[in-house]
Amino acid sequence: MKSVFSIALGILAAIGGFVDIGDIIFNVAAGATFGYQLLWAVVVGVGGIITYAEMCGRVAAVSGSAVFDAVRERLGFGVGLIALVAAELVNLLTIAAEIGGIAIVLQLLSGLPYRVLLVLAVLALGLVLWLMPFEWIERVFGYCGLALLVFAVAAIKLHPDWNAVAHGFVPSTGTGNGWVYAYFVVGLVGAAMIPYEVYFYSSGAVEEQWTAKDLGVNRANVLVGYSLGGILSFALMISAGALLLPQGIQGELLGTVALVAEAPLGQIGLILALVGALAAISGAAIDSSFSGAYSIAQFFGWEWGKYRHNSGAPRFTLAWMVMLVLGFLIVVTGVDPIMVTELSVIFSVVALPLTYVPILLVANDRAYMGRYANGRFANLAGGFYLLVVFVIAVAAVPLLLLSNMGQG
Amino acid sequence: MSSAFDLGLGVLDHALVDSEGRRCGKVDDLELEGVRDGNPRVAAILTGPSAWSGRGRIGRVVAAIVRGRLVRIPWSEVDRLDSAVHLRKTAKELGLGRGDVRAAKLVERIPGSSL
Repeated sequence: MKSVFSIALGILAAIGGFVDIGDIIFNVAAGATFGYQLLWAVVVGVGGIITYAEMCGRVAAVSGSAVFDAVRERLGFGVGLIALVAAELVNLLTIAAEIGGIAIVLQLLSGLPYRVLLVLAVLALGLVLWLMPFEWIERVFGYCGLALLVFAVAAIKLHPDWNAVAHGFVPSTGTGNGWVYAYFVVGLVGAAMIPYEVYFYSSGAVEEQWTAKDLGVNRANVLVGYSLGGILSFALMISAGALLLPQGIQGELLGTVALVAEAPLGQIGLILALVGALAAISGAAIDSSFSGAYSIAQFFGWEWGKYRHNSGAPRFTLAWMVMLVLGFLIVVTGVDPIMVTELSVIFSVVALPLTYVPILLVANDRAYMGRYANGRFANLAGGFYLLVVFVIAVAAVPLLLLSNMGQG
Repeated sequence: MSSAFDLGLGVLDHALVDSEGRRCGKVDDLELEGVRDGNPRVAAILTGPSAWSGRGRIGRVVAAIVRGRLVRIPWSEVDRLDSAVHLRKTAKELGLGRGDVRAAKLVERIPGSSL
């Protein structure tokens, strides 16, 4: 039995670990462009990640199968392989985006050249993954990521029009460029539901050898952790809406993100924002590298897991190393990491149905799940989000082009 | 209670776990016998890249490119079934998990690999 204390610690880590470069970029850009009008899209996305992460955690606890076990069992070898390739391509873009994001934050802190910092970033990530025990990684980055709560303070200090904020939680078609608005809806929902999170979460549950007894912890982690994580997203969007929109400052730069905290809170705000962003993005880089390795190992039946030491799951170890290096090679070409971030979120939306369909099927299979199979509520929410995911998956690429990547 | 069991969903593509709890491949295909006598049984589990050739067009193409091994595990080696297929012997005895053995030699050269 886990103590309440250790559960609370896990949830704290989940809050800090929720936000990654995709959330930061899309929330701040949405705030700078549309004010508070898109807050509802974050709610939709957070609901989606809660629904599917809960299902994945439950499947992992009851059956010991992680996401890509389920994908292969349900889709078979051929279609499953397509799902794997799609997931890995998206994952690579995500890793590239996170490494680029780390380098940008380090550049804001140190002023050193970007490419040097890319090398430093990837070496540091490799060392952490190689040397640090799994729980430490999760906790250290999760807790430091909580520094992003500075944006909640900033949001309050900037005295937003709370009436307008409240209106933002009601879905609307928005004012301004419709294509850009729709593009941001897809981006915000996609960033919240970015698939590596569920691969990582379910694999972690298998590694920690969850059983049906841990289903309460699963629910608490997912519900409380992701909801509070969503608050960080709200804070980013609200403070960007209060500060950047009136001044017409473009939000799609990490420098402006730091400015959002610095303007109302001064130097300490700036430093907390950068430290929080650095931790959150580094944690996401680690999670997404691991997720890539988990997925391929589960699909092919390799030994996997960080709890087995590095040489105990050697192909898994080589897989995350290769992922990190490939991600590094993408950003070191000099492509704009902000563009890579947006592409990674938009393409992850396209790949989402391939993972969510098999999870929904497995979670409904009574032969597999017994009395822990999906109830009516989980199926209603699961079905609703499958519909949402299909719609935004079809709309994602056309909107990317029609909105000129959100530039209008 | 029904004794019906869905081989396609319950065994095919599930994980293989050896007697020491190591993951050592997937049920890539199944070998059936006695289908013509009206008494079909699972004779063996087929695993390894060459077994993918029996898994549709994509499987055939990938198997042709990879050209890996095919290991046949008689069904009598199966200890029990849950979400994974648990085997009675170690991966080494059954000739499984060789990719991990090879990769381990590489990983062990890096200092700190047993951390």
